[in-house]
Parts: sequence; C-alpha cells; structure tokens
Amino acid sequence: MAEAGVRKGLTKGLIKLTLILGIGFGLLFILGKALPAPTGDGYRVFPFIGSRDWIWIIAQLHLNFAAFVLGVPIFAVSMEFIGWRKSDGRLDRIAYDFTKLFTLAYTITAVIGSIFMVSLPILYPKFIDHMMKILGPTWWVYVAVMYVEVIVCYYYFYSWKKMSGTKGRHVAIGGLLNVMGVMMLLITSSWVGYMTTPAGVSDSGELISRWHAIKTYMWLPLSLHRLVANVVFGAGIAMAYAAFRFITSETDEDRAYYDWMGYTSAMISIGFSLILPGIGYLLGVEIYEYNEQMGIQLMGGFFAWLWVMQAILIGAILMCINYYLWISLAKMPGGERYYKYVKYLFIVMLLGYAVWLTPHSIALSLEEARKMGAYHPLLGNLGVMASKNTAVVITYLVTFMSFSIFKMSNKESVVSWAATGRALRIVIIAASTVSVLAIGVYSYMVSSHVRVRVLSPIQFGIFFLTIVALFILDKMMYKNARLIGEPRWGKMPERSQYALIGITVTFTWLMGMMGYMRAGARQYWHVYGIIKNTSADNYLPTHGVTAVIVSVLTVIFFLLIGLLFWTIMKLEKAYEKKGAQS
Amino acid sequence: MMILGIYPALASIGLVITVFAVIWKSPFFNFVGILLFIYGLLKSVALIMPPLPGQVMVMYMAMSVFSLIVYFSIEDKTFKAFLEPMRAVIADDDKKVLRVILVFVALPLFAGYLTYTKVTPTYEPPVSGRIIHPEPPSQIEFKGNTMNVIGLENPLRKDAANLAKNIEDGKKIYYRNCFYCHGDDLDGRGHLAQAYNPVPLPFRGTDTIAQLPESFVFWRVAKGWRGLPAGAGPWNSAMPSFEDFLSEDEIWKVILFIYEATGNKPRA
Repeated sequence: MAEAGVRKGLTKGLIKLTLILGIGFGLLFILGKALPAPTGDGYRVFPFIGSRDWIWIIAQLHLNFAAFVLGVPIFAVSMEFIGWRKSDGRLDRIAYDFTKLFTLAYTITAVIGSIFMVSLPILYPKFIDHMMKILGPTWWVYVAVMYVEVIVCYYYFYSWKKMSGTKGRHVAIGGLLNVMGVMMLLITSSWVGYMTTPAGVSDSGELISRWHAIKTYMWLPLSLHRLVANVVFGAGIAMAYAAFRFITSETDEDRAYYDWMGYTSAMISIGFSLILPGIGYLLGVEIYEYNEQMGIQLMGGFFAWLWVMQAILIGAILMCINYYLWISLAKMPGGERYYKYVKYLFIVMLLGYAVWLTPHSIALSLEEARKMGAYHPLLGNLGVMASKNTAVVITYLVTFMSFSIFKMSNKESVVSWAATGRALRIVIIAASTVSVLAIGVYSYMVSSHVRVRVLSPIQFGIFFLTIVALFILDKMMYKNARLIGEPRWGKMPERSQYALIGITVTFTWLMGMMGYMRAGARQYWHVYGIIKNTSADNYLPTHGVTAVIVSVLTVIFFLLIGLLFWTIMKLEKAYEKKGAQS
Repeated sequence: MMILGIYPALASIGLVITVFAVIWKSPFFNFVGILLFIYGLLKSVALIMPPLPGQVMVMYMAMSVFSLIVYFSIEDKTFKAFLEPMRAVIADDDKKVLRVILVFVALPLFAGYLTYTKVTPTYEPPVSGRIIHPEPPSQIEFKGNTMNVIGLENPLRKDAANLAKNIEDGKKIYYRNCFYCHGDDLDGRGHLAQAYNPVPLPFRGTDTIAQLPESFVFWRVAKGWRGLPAGAGPWNSAMPSFEDFLSEDEIWKVILFIYEATGNKPRA
C-alpha cells in the first residue's frame, strides 16, 4: 500500500478531499435552489424518515468515524515512538497497521461529513443561519485545519518506509497530526457546547462575545471526555480489526501477530476507559453548574432509564474483558497456576455487576406497585449512587487484578523478598477493598453533597492509588524475574476474539446512546434557551425508538467498518501479488 | 404464602443439582443448578420484603445467564464439557427418543404455553414507568409571581433567631395538611396512604428529601402532580398543588419541619 510515492499519495489525498468538499458545496447550492423553500419557521422535511432521524443517523456515523480517525493516531504515534526508542520492529509494524486503518478511514469520514454538511443547512436553514452568525468563523478555521490534517496524515502514512532512517522526524510529523486532530475536536466541541450550554449571546440570540460563545461550560469537559473516549473507541476498532484478522488468518505467524495486536489494542482501550468515569463526572458537574434542571433531567429524570442501560452495557464490557484475560492464561506457560483464583474474581465481578445494574427507576404493573409501596427496600438501597460507585470501583479493581495475573503468570519472582512482596500485595488489595466498601457504607449516612463531592472521588482515588501501588510493587518484584516461557501468541480460541468484537460493538452502541442523551438534554431547543425547535420533531422520542435508531446506526457503522477491513485486506493482497511478480 | 414457599425449595434443588454437577464434573448441569438457585433465591426475597418486580427479575436472570456462559467457557476443557449434553442430544444415535420428545412434545408445549400467556385476556392496566427524580422547571409562577427554581433557597433557614418557632409552625402546618397521607412518623404511611398507587413518599431514609435541594421540594409541594413535567410522563401522583392552600412562607416552614423531624439535611 505504501509503495506509492509521498508526492503521489499527498496529491491523491488532497484531490479526494477537495472533490468530496466540492461535491458537497455543489450539492448544497443545487439543492438550495431546486428544493421548495423552507417553512415559515425554517424547516424542510427529509422524505420517509423525517429530518431528525436522518440528521441523527448521519451525525452519529460521522462522529463514530471522526472518533476513530482522531483517537487512533494518538496511540499509533505513541507506539511508533516507543518502537523507535526501544528498536522494536514489532511495535513499528503495529503502529503502521494502525496508521493504515485510520488513513483509509479518512475517506469514509469525509464522505459522511460532507453528507452531514449538506443535510443540516438544507433541512434546518434557520438554525444553521444562527450558528453561522455566532460561530461562523470557527467553521472556516475547521475547514482549514481539516486540509492541514489531511496533508499531514497522508504525508505521515506515505512517508513511513521512506523516513525509516529518520524516525525522529517521522514521529514529530505524527505529533503534528495529533495536534491537528485535537484542534478539530476542540472546534466541533465548541459547537456542541454552545448548543447545550450557550453563552456570549443575548436572550434574543444576538452575539455579544464570540469567545464566550466558544468557551462555554461544556466546552473543555466535553472535549476532554471526547478525547479520552476517542482513544478508547479507536483502540476498540483496532481491537475488532485484529480479532477479525485473527479469525480469518491462514498462518500461525499471522494469528500470533493479530493476537498480540488485539491484546495491545484491548489493553489501551480498557486502560483509557478507566479514567472516563472521572472525566464524565467532571462533565456532569459542569452541566449541573450551568443548569441544575438540565442536570437532573440528564441524571435522574426521563433519562434515568438509559443510565441503567449504560450500567448493563459497561458491566458486560468489563465482564468480557475479564473473560478475555482469563482465557489468555491458557497461552501463558505457567498460566494454569492461576486458574484457581479465577472463580473468586468471577464471583466478585458477578456481584458487582448485579449491584451496578440494579435500577432505581423501574417499570411496574399495578399489582407490583401495590405490593412494593413507595420504594423497594432492596432496590432503594442497591439502586443508589453509594452502592453503585462502590460496585464500580471494586469491579475495576478485579479487572486490574485479572490483568496483573495475566502479566505475571509466565514469570517467577527471584527477589529475596518475594514472599513479603506477595503478602504486601494481599494487604494492599484487602485494605483498598475494605476502605472502598467502608466508604460505600458510610456514604449512606451522609448528605448527598458530601457523597458527591468528597466520598465518591475518594473511592476513585483509592482505586488509582491501589493500581499505582500494585504496578510499582510488581515492577520491583518481577525485575529480572525467571521466565517460565514466552507467551504462545496465536494460541487462543476464536471465542476470545468474538469477545473483543462484542466489546467494540457494545462501545459503539453505548456511544450512540450517550450521544443521544447529551443531545436530548436540550429537549425542545436547538440552542438551549435561545433558539427553540418548532419543527414537528420537537419532542424526545421514546426509549424504544431511541434504541432502534441507535441499533440501526450501529449496524450501518459496522457494515462500513467491514467494508474498510475488506478494502485493507484486498489492497494488501494486491500489494503482495505485485511484490511477488516483481 | 404457600406458593412463596416453593421458591426456597427451588433454590435448594438448584443447590443440590450444582453439588452433584460439581462431583460428576458436568458444567452444563452446574450451570442449570446455579441458575435455578439464583432464581429461587431472588423469588424467595418475597418472604421477607415485597417481591422483586418482573423487570428486575428479567435483568438479574439475563445477567446471570450471560455471566455464567462466560464463566463456563473460559477453559477449553470445561467449555467442551459444557456443550457436550447439547451436542449429545442433537447428534448421538442413542438419544433419538429424547430428540423426538424434545421436538414433538416439549417444544410445542413450550410454544403453546408462551402463546397462552400472551393471548389470555388480562384486566391489568399496562405496566407504567416510575422515575424517581422528575426534573423541575427552571421557573414557576407562584401566586402571580415568577420564581426561579434554580438557585432558590429557603429564606427562613437564614433567620436563626426564629428557626425553632418556624419549625414549630411547620409542624402544625404538616399535621393540618400533610400527615393524612405522609404519616404521623413521616414514613409515608398516613391514614389515606393505602388508597393511592403509588403510595405517598416517606421523608425518612436517605433516598427522598435527603437527596433533594429545598427548591425542588418547594416546587413539588407548591405545584403537586399538576406541575410534573409533561415530557417525562406518565406520572402517577396524587400530590395536591398546595399553592392553592398555603402561602409561600407556610410552604417553607413545612419544608423546614420535614427536614428537621427526619434528621435529614437538604442537598446543597
């Protein structure tokens, strides 16, 4: 694939982007003239499915691909850097494979983005007029940054082999690519931030300060949340790709490589996902600061049901990642020694999962409601933040322990204080578990602001301290450890790979649902409190309808991702064939 | 109560199956036994407290099935043994009779049972959702004045000199207006409580007023069921709009009292 010259690759990329944007602008002009004028309050209706559902699907698909192409370069460049410093060719290959993925994904991202760019002004002209009036200049900066990013991205990819002798410079180009990516993310988050928590405008929507319209309550927490979530999601797609390639591999060598790639991607994805709740917490605090009503609407009102669904799905993701790590013990020489602990980890995971998904808001028949009274004692006690935060922290701890067990399963510590170290590890785990549980119980006895602002952060703090302490301890204990044997990469049952694919599908579905919640918080406003939505769609759909739409767009996304994987494989085969012929 | 007695027995049978399955090294029957045990245990909850709603039972059981399949498929050997009974029923020559029974008797019976439960007419109203925290509006009209609910504070809380008197006044207001439903002990068990569905909320405990700012409580007392948000219905509430009966000061006083009497503090 990279045999094309740098100049040729760059030209191809620029022509492609210009063509896509040109067609987009052309269509916008033609449709604007050809279609009937919008209604008096500024709307056109998309045929069959309506404007809202169309924009919803296109926007979410674009966001999914954008998350992928912005998230993957972060760890691709990191791996290239580590590979360069450690002279590890395998890391360089995986970084190159990741780059191959996101470079090809740019085209799909741009095409869907272009459809989005045409659809919004055609279907919601009045709203887009307002957005352009307030944040118009940022849109043109966005287009300029997009061009620079495409140039840098294509240069980065096509110069991989050519610049293998000047790795430092190549890594720097990758760094620049990420700077561009973060800039794009900041710009688009400012648009969403303005729509949800507007500032810098008068009550009638006249611009007072553009900078304040950009720098809203939501801007930075949302950007931060998206940045980390992009890495989680990007690594998730890379993990699904590796799993797909593993399943379709025909040689042991390929299976070994894709097994390793899947494992690496999974650990990046799950590792970064550990900090997401904290950043989500920050985003929630900012939303409450802006408008308490919106905060309650989002956390405890109509959307309360969706948080239960989120708990079910994240619980399933954590169960699957633990499953993957437990299965992985089979490929580690000496791993069988640790199977005896798995059942205990599983029981804790199961109990944690049960607490986490316990609902507080429930669907009841009349008879059930009569029997239950005001609150069900079990659900009233387990379905609240005190117990759920405790359960989450403990399941995270279990996940980290599964990871630690996997990492050390093929080694034997040779330090003189190994027995003391093992005892210390037990003490650390026991102390942190007991502390988290005790704080969880104490949380029931204090007012909610103490629970939200003090105790919950302490629980997460204990978790992070524990993993840092265990990490340092293991590093010291396993320094120069006796290796029982190298991991048998590739010796994994296929079901482990389906678990990885399942995790990615769940991530995607979850992203769609959380995106809906974030947008739904505005209720019947395009720009909260400023521009009212007066279209026929100015209501929140039922959760059933939401679930169907999110599922449909998840299916479309994976069909497109499948197409991307297939294209990569086809190009690789063509390249191999060409190489064999020459 | 007699029917309820079946569930602990079911849980015990599940436990026995699990023990034998462990001895005979049969992961499949271990799986069946554990599921039966969990089901029996969850249903047995009704012996000591209200039964778990159907929705919660479905969630717990679905999670158990998913998680147990995960567990029994970790090791190759165990997973193979787990699938073995299913494989044997489908493929083994000596299981023909069992196959015939399953396909021609058990399956039609199960389909018939499902059909029966679906088409039998019931006179129950449809299942309704109960959301614990409805969202308040940002502004309300109260006796001709516009009040911002967001950031609204109880003005009487700052009046330390008269706090005891205001609480005492609030107590009188409570017993004249609220206790019929919310109860003498503020536990939601007033004389009229059982006439409503859902029953009135208790103020004791950590999951009602303890989680709410006073502005939220003011809105609920002042506006009652009529003020609940239309966008998040349906709401089942018989709470009257006390703005028709009480002054602003009286509402704040009764709020002071319910927090004081239950030992709860309003959310900041």
